[in-house]
Amino acid sequence: MTATTDTTTDTFDTVAAWAEDLNRDNATLDDRGEFPWEKWKTIQRSGILAVPFERRYGGEGRSLTETMRALEGLGYTSRDAGLNFSTSTQIVSVGLVLQAFGNEELTTTYLPKIISGELITAHAITEPTNGSDATGITTTARRDGDDYVLDGEKMFITNAPIADLLLLYVRTGPPGPFGLSCFLVERDTPGLRIGEPLDKMGLRTSPLGAVTLDGVRVPASRRVGQEGAGFLILDHIMKREILLSFSITLGEMTHRLERCVRQARTRTQFGQPIGAYQAVSHKIADMKIAVETARKWLYDTGAKVEAGEDASIDVAATKTVVSEANLRTALDAVQIFGGSGFLSATGVEADVRNAVGGTIYSGTNEVQRNRIASLLGLGSPAGEGVRRG
Amino acid sequence: MDLETQIRDYIVSEFLSGEDVPDLTDDFDLIENGVVDSLGLVRLISHLSKTYAIPVDDIPLLPSNFRDIEHICAFIRQSPVAASG
Repeated sequence: MTATTDTTTDTFDTVAAWAEDLNRDNATLDDRGEFPWEKWKTIQRSGILAVPFERRYGGEGRSLTETMRALEGLGYTSRDAGLNFSTSTQIVSVGLVLQAFGNEELTTTYLPKIISGELITAHAITEPTNGSDATGITTTARRDGDDYVLDGEKMFITNAPIADLLLLYVRTGPPGPFGLSCFLVERDTPGLRIGEPLDKMGLRTSPLGAVTLDGVRVPASRRVGQEGAGFLILDHIMKREILLSFSITLGEMTHRLERCVRQARTRTQFGQPIGAYQAVSHKIADMKIAVETARKWLYDTGAKVEAGEDASIDVAATKTVVSEANLRTALDAVQIFGGSGFLSATGVEADVRNAVGGTIYSGTNEVQRNRIASLLGLGSPAGEGVRRG
Repeated sequence: MDLETQIRDYIVSEFLSGEDVPDLTDDFDLIENGVVDSLGLVRLISHLSKTYAIPVDDIPLLPSNFRDIEHICAFIRQSPVAASG
């Protein structure tokens, strides 16, 4: 089966036909914390990586909200949350940045291979001493003739251990909004070292690692956007990262709700289905409210971004609402499933571990609240650039 | 009110607590002088988009466009929507 090129169909079903392949050995892979290479081939075949990209590069030319819908479908279909997360990182981290800001040489060289999934990508923003405060980045790029020389260290970089191509956010100027720039660097560039995958609580099949830059020399043509445009690029791409990765979360929450409804209808205690007890049915009613609230925030905000309207507060609110709803409903699902929910084999407990990550990556929820307050003119001690590492 | 005055009034109101300063000329570097920080830049772009009906995606994200009042006004004037309005 090949990817669809019909632009009238609902993109929600982009990966639906590959459900069996995407869900093979989930518990084992999660336990081992291994990137599922065979499933990556399925992701490639499904065509989901091509959805938001222009046709001239091999993409499907779909809109932002259509891409969100495709990723919602991925979250609904695939129970491998780590793979889902790596997939959204692949779409957002380098591809969408290149499409919006890359020069002709970079886009024609790399976009077709990013869209096909042949090259795996990551973006590196977080550092050991700078998390959600992206403006505090200390990794530097020093101009040297026609090149830049990069030095520093990046940490908690999603996809780094498997990435062929990295977009690095580094300092090229003094502190402030124009002190950062972006560079596209290949994995085998001399001086660039990528650490081993870091063991972690959730999203265990999505490799996370450190990146060290020791005198990495890159031609100026590898700079993406104008020198000093790094923060503006970051702000642009973070809106899309949040909308796309949390659309996956919406799909996962929808699937969880349906599972809980089935459980509540079929599991009996004291002579009747547990759903007959308000202690359970109200939990599920609250889950339904959470899912539909998440949906409204995501697609209303997606429509605003798509229309070119200002959505800075909406994006921060969406991220906070969806990630917290995901964690809350994941915990409720464990309670509804009882003893079996506590077992790894059912996959219900994994949802809790995965959901914790959502309150941290793409800018912690604390930083999102700071950002909203600041945008309301209330001032904020922190919370400038917000993103995933 | 001319465009430069509109932008100047906005900057005074939003970033200088309403206190006008003689230094704030059209070529005064808003970034280097710490008037507009990173989140301030996001607020500024948002304001320009809403006030002058320029879609955010049509705002060229170039540092040179936001350094001072003169450059901000120049790119607003170059915007097809603002220019036609």
